[in-house]
Amino acid sequence: MIEAVKNKIVDELEKVVGSEFVSTNQADLYIYSYDLTPAESHWPDIVVLPQSPEELRAIITLANKEKMPVIPYVAGGNVGGLTIPLEGGIVLDLKRMNRIIEVNETDMYAVVEPGVTFGQIKAYLEKNHPTLRYTYAFSPSSTGVMTNALVQGLDNLSFRYGDASHWVSGLEVILTTGELIKIGSCAASKTWQAIVPFPELDGLFLGWQGTTGVITKMAVSIWPNPPHNTAVTFMAMDLESADEILKAIIRTRIPDDLIGTSFALNKVGMAAYAHEKASLHPALHREPDEPEFVITAEVTGNTENELNAKVEAMGEAVKERCKDGNYTGPDTIPSTTAAFPMQALGVLSSGGGLMWVGTYGPMSRWLETVKKGCELQDKYDISRTCYTRIMNEGHFVGLRWMLPYDKGDPALVQRINDLCAEQLDLVLETGYIPYKTPVWAVRRLEEVVGPDWLKLHRRVKEMLDPNNIMNPGRWGKPGK
Amino acid sequence: MVLDELKEWLYGCTHCGTCKSVLEIFSPVCPAGEKYRLESYYPSGKMLIARGIVNGVLNLDNDDIMERIYACTGCLSCEQQCGVYHRQHIFEIIQALRTEAVTRGNLNPAYMIMVDSLKKDDNVFGKPKAERGDWAKDMGIKDAAQEKVDVAYHAGCMVSFDPELWEVPRSAVSLLKAAGVDVGIMGMEESCCGGRAYEIGYLGEFTKYAEHFLETFNSLDVKQVVTSCSDGYSTFKKLYAGVNIPAKFDMLHMVEYLDSLIKDKKLRFTKKVPMKVTYHDPCHLGRHLGDDGVYEPPRDVLKNIPGIELVEMERNRLNAWCCGAGAGVSQANPDLSLWTANERLKEAKATGATALVTSCPWCERNFKDAVKEYGEEIEIYDITEIARKAL
Repeated sequence: MIEAVKNKIVDELEKVVGSEFVSTNQADLYIYSYDLTPAESHWPDIVVLPQSPEELRAIITLANKEKMPVIPYVAGGNVGGLTIPLEGGIVLDLKRMNRIIEVNETDMYAVVEPGVTFGQIKAYLEKNHPTLRYTYAFSPSSTGVMTNALVQGLDNLSFRYGDASHWVSGLEVILTTGELIKIGSCAASKTWQAIVPFPELDGLFLGWQGTTGVITKMAVSIWPNPPHNTAVTFMAMDLESADEILKAIIRTRIPDDLIGTSFALNKVGMAAYAHEKASLHPALHREPDEPEFVITAEVTGNTENELNAKVEAMGEAVKERCKDGNYTGPDTIPSTTAAFPMQALGVLSSGGGLMWVGTYGPMSRWLETVKKGCELQDKYDISRTCYTRIMNEGHFVGLRWMLPYDKGDPALVQRINDLCAEQLDLVLETGYIPYKTPVWAVRRLEEVVGPDWLKLHRRVKEMLDPNNIMNPGRWGKPGK
Repeated sequence: MVLDELKEWLYGCTHCGTCKSVLEIFSPVCPAGEKYRLESYYPSGKMLIARGIVNGVLNLDNDDIMERIYACTGCLSCEQQCGVYHRQHIFEIIQALRTEAVTRGNLNPAYMIMVDSLKKDDNVFGKPKAERGDWAKDMGIKDAAQEKVDVAYHAGCMVSFDPELWEVPRSAVSLLKAAGVDVGIMGMEESCCGGRAYEIGYLGEFTKYAEHFLETFNSLDVKQVVTSCSDGYSTFKKLYAGVNIPAKFDMLHMVEYLDSLIKDKKLRFTKKVPMKVTYHDPCHLGRHLGDDGVYEPPRDVLKNIPGIELVEMERNRLNAWCCGAGAGVSQANPDLSLWTANERLKEAKATGATALVTSCPWCERNFKDAVKEYGEEIEIYDITEIARKAL
């Protein structure tokens, strides 16, 4: 960017938010230029921290006038390189917009600003609304509630309710024109209880990775917080048994959350929980008496009797379906929710890097996909690190192979990149669609979605962002 | 520690942000990050800056980068929250960046007075060495440099040269005397502990003072050295271990000693001190000491003082919010320092306490200055000042 133009924009931005919240310092630009993934680094030109929708609107209007890219940012912890400014421009760090504006006890929703984190909402509800809870992602507590929903994250109530965008019940959005739009019931009333029965305009923003507008407020569902909880585990000695156990539990509709992990991932994680460096390469191989897969179902109850009955019914269902299965369990352990906020430590302790091909796909092809994905890990001498979460009572499945790695080890980075490329080919063959899609995977998806889908997608982007300033180079339009 | 020796920790941070808030209660922990809000001010940002410097992407010859490196109070709260394997090396890396800057000649002008004063007068405040013992002039305290004593009281730079804080050492010595302790001081022969020099990157100065401190008190044959300064205490406990001179004496913080004197029934409080107070844990008396953090002795002392009602702030003990004075911030960046202190004062006021009690003169000074700057209505005391009222 021409220095004189940048200086003029910086001057304008300083008038909007104050000079202390605008930076062109090399340290800031460097920090926002990359993330925990191996995605290529790209430097922004300016970092800005607004505090209000009015400031935000002024910034976006200015950026649109100057045709300068704008990249919304909260914690930068997504595993997709989604906040790396591919074409430079303004990183819009939204952490100062962190108000929990409303919690409606009766209608069970919370209205939050972009900077509100999982940790913040957990503490707020525990203090002010202890009978209600939000759901929590397998991620650090600094993760944004809103960004998690925008990128369709999978959380610990996803078995019941699907991905995080499914429980959005209202939006307030600033368009590149500076228009401020409310979506859902809040457009016509004071309450934010649901998107329906309006036309579902939220689809113009959810899942778009900040390429169509900036969300300034979001209403998310919150739920009753049952007083009794436990976790039930099954240890499957092979993937076939794991598949059957999962299918058995799905049909019970009992758990709040149903996840499965490669046993090797748990073993690698043990080092991390002892505050040691964890490493996937060379691969940890399974001992003969060790399980292949660990399945954990999170169960809650309003009474202890209800809880016990649920646990018993789930155990019976698995016993009945998996008569020939090779597994142990059920065993009850303390609720996994107790692990928050350190639940992701096991995959954050390998040297600054974390990568995965994360997907949503059909349960019907889960077994074949997991097997092939794990075999690819064997090929690359990487420990098996499959992580799966059953979504929306089994109507679809979250599936990924967690790949924590040392950013200071170029050979390992290359190994991880090569593995991910092969895993992406695999999942596209088996009907699993990458989520939080890194730009390289977006381009691959665009090759398979069909030309008419692509045309429609680009027309929507063109309509909402004609100057292509919103997080450009990702969904909707390739980079320059 | 220099940056080259810390390379194995440089890639530990994923920038996950867990270090930004207290685990479980999710209240903020990082003064610089919370004041400035840019990622470069948070510990994870500083880890990335270190990576950038080592990889040659960033340069220390940049005033803004230097400002960020020095905008850290060394409170170690980030290390308390982080769970990753590099977690005990976060401030070490920041300190190493400062040492690297000093080594490369990228000096921070704000510290020139301090460094010159150390070289000339053995203190960090630019005061004449001859005035160091003035706080004790009329107290008739033994001169530990001249006559044998069991316990040497080390006042430290802060209380020695700040008349507004003289009540701290005077109270401490009065309490020791009341308990029958054979105590003396070094007066003008006392020197800086070197802790600040270490934190701002002057390793040579630090080593000089560490050696001097150890050799001096070893030669005096004292049983114990007691100090009211938490900075000095943690410097001795944590940093002197790296200096190859074994200590022949025990080092105690005044609050530990006071607690033991009370528990051994050598010191009794007779007067009522009717106050509702909250206790601020100094970082250097807590997190800086790791598993040996001194958290309960000050609370036990306060509970033993008749009339004192002790209430806790939300962030206490291991999770205490910093006073803002540490690691040279009060000298180089008073805005950050006082803002940080005022955040703590607001938290203290929210408990309903009328006074904040601490056990570090750096904290006390900074809180008093923040009261002047921001006008929060709360009294500030060192724990010895409160204890002395009860004699």
